[in-house]
Amino acid sequence: MDNLKIAATERSPAVDFDFAAGRLSLKGESYPEDASAVFGPIFAALEAFLGAARGREVTFDFDLTYFNSSSAKALMNMFQMLDQSADAGCRLTVNWFYAADDDTMKEFGEDFCEDLSHVTFNLVSVE
Amino acid sequence: MSSFNLFDAEEKSLEQAEDLRRRLEQAPGPVRDGIASLIEAYSRSVREQRRLVRVSDRLQAQLASVNQELGKRKAEAEDALESLKAAQESLVQAEKLASLGALVGGVAHEINTPVGIALSCASHLADSTAAIAKLFEADDISVDDFERFMATVKDTTGLILSNVERAAELIRSFKQVAVDRTSSERRRFDLAAYIRETLASLGPHLRQAGHAVRLACPDGIVMDSYPGALSQVLGNFIMNSLVHGFDPGQLGTLSITVEQEEAGSVRLVYADDGKGVPEDHLGRIFDPFFTTRRGSGGSGLGLHIVYNLVTGPLGGSVAAESPEGGGTVFTLSMPLSP
Repeated sequence: MDNLKIAATERSPAVDFDFAAGRLSLKGESYPEDASAVFGPIFAALEAFLGAARGREVTFDFDLTYFNSSSAKALMNMFQMLDQSADAGCRLTVNWFYAADDDTMKEFGEDFCEDLSHVTFNLVSVE
Repeated sequence: MSSFNLFDAEEKSLEQAEDLRRRLEQAPGPVRDGIASLIEAYSRSVREQRRLVRVSDRLQAQLASVNQELGKRKAEAEDALESLKAAQESLVQAEKLASLGALVGGVAHEINTPVGIALSCASHLADSTAAIAKLFEADDISVDDFERFMATVKDTTGLILSNVERAAELIRSFKQVAVDRTSSERRRFDLAAYIRETLASLGPHLRQAGHAVRLACPDGIVMDSYPGALSQVLGNFIMNSLVHGFDPGQLGTLSITVEQEEAGSVRLVYADDGKGVPEDHLGRIFDPFFTTRRGSGGSGLGLHIVYNLVTGPLGGSVAAESPEGGGTVFTLSMPLSP
């Protein structure tokens, strides 16, 4: 399937889904005025990809510096989706990047991984 | 592609629950009521979640725009600070030039005295010589006349010599100090001798004020540093004492004490026994533009320049104190070779 690459805007993250390589990443800030415009395409692509990802090795990098509540809800939905497909046999690793001095972003990562039981979740501090 | 919905999963659960409720129509009343109230509670909870997400989205958007505004203001404030610093820098330069101007004025005044004395002595000698020459030509010269002339010659030449020597010495000192002030050159110099030269260049101001000046500096301390900076520091300390330290007519003592406690560095204590500095001024005394004499021409830069010179070229530190018994003390520590 086609890779998904969307440049970052002031209020939305850069999307880089390299499906062939099994490397997905979201990077930047996320506080869009219309969450569905930003996350709609992301979820659609993700759903299609994960549906056929059984047995594959997939790494998902989250490198976010700021997000609002809609984005947090979307992320939680996304994590649930990832955990389900990991349960179904996709070998999924999530890397949650946070700046070394950003305790808030680190704690968000800790919160989000609480409900994940099949995904390998790494908290990665970035200097 | 169905349109994206953040609460898709919750809505699906609600639909399933409604479905369950329909299929439970035959169930006993309490079961149906229980299911109905659970569905109602869950549906209210989802509605509230949506509302909460909207509310916090709005707050976070507000926060983001406040942050942007803050960033903009911060940049503006930093720009303003930059231009203030530039303005301050040019004022400091202007103040340095002004103090050089005052130095030149002092030099002129100081040299005027010995040169004036030498001039009138020379003129008196010329008159006496003309008179004795006249008597000699008329062959009317007595032993008394000649003896009187010889005494005059001895006195006037003595005075001319000592005053011209004094002027030459002053010019030498001034030249050194003025050159050092305008150039920021580093060189080796004897500390005690250099302080004496600096004091000599401030002679007119000091004599006018009438304070006693004491210098206690061991001989043979050689520094490899910036003498111009040191001279300006001492000059500013002294002018500070003269302008602020004493009430009009009050006479006091200014002292410079140099001690070498460890090899490689030197401690210079400048003190006056005047009125001292109020406690609440002490902490700001080195701040630029801090002055109690704005109206009468104080720039508030004198001690700031001291601070910059000491911490900059001289590579040392300076502190101000005002002891209980009165007076002001500046303690300057600096390396012999920064």
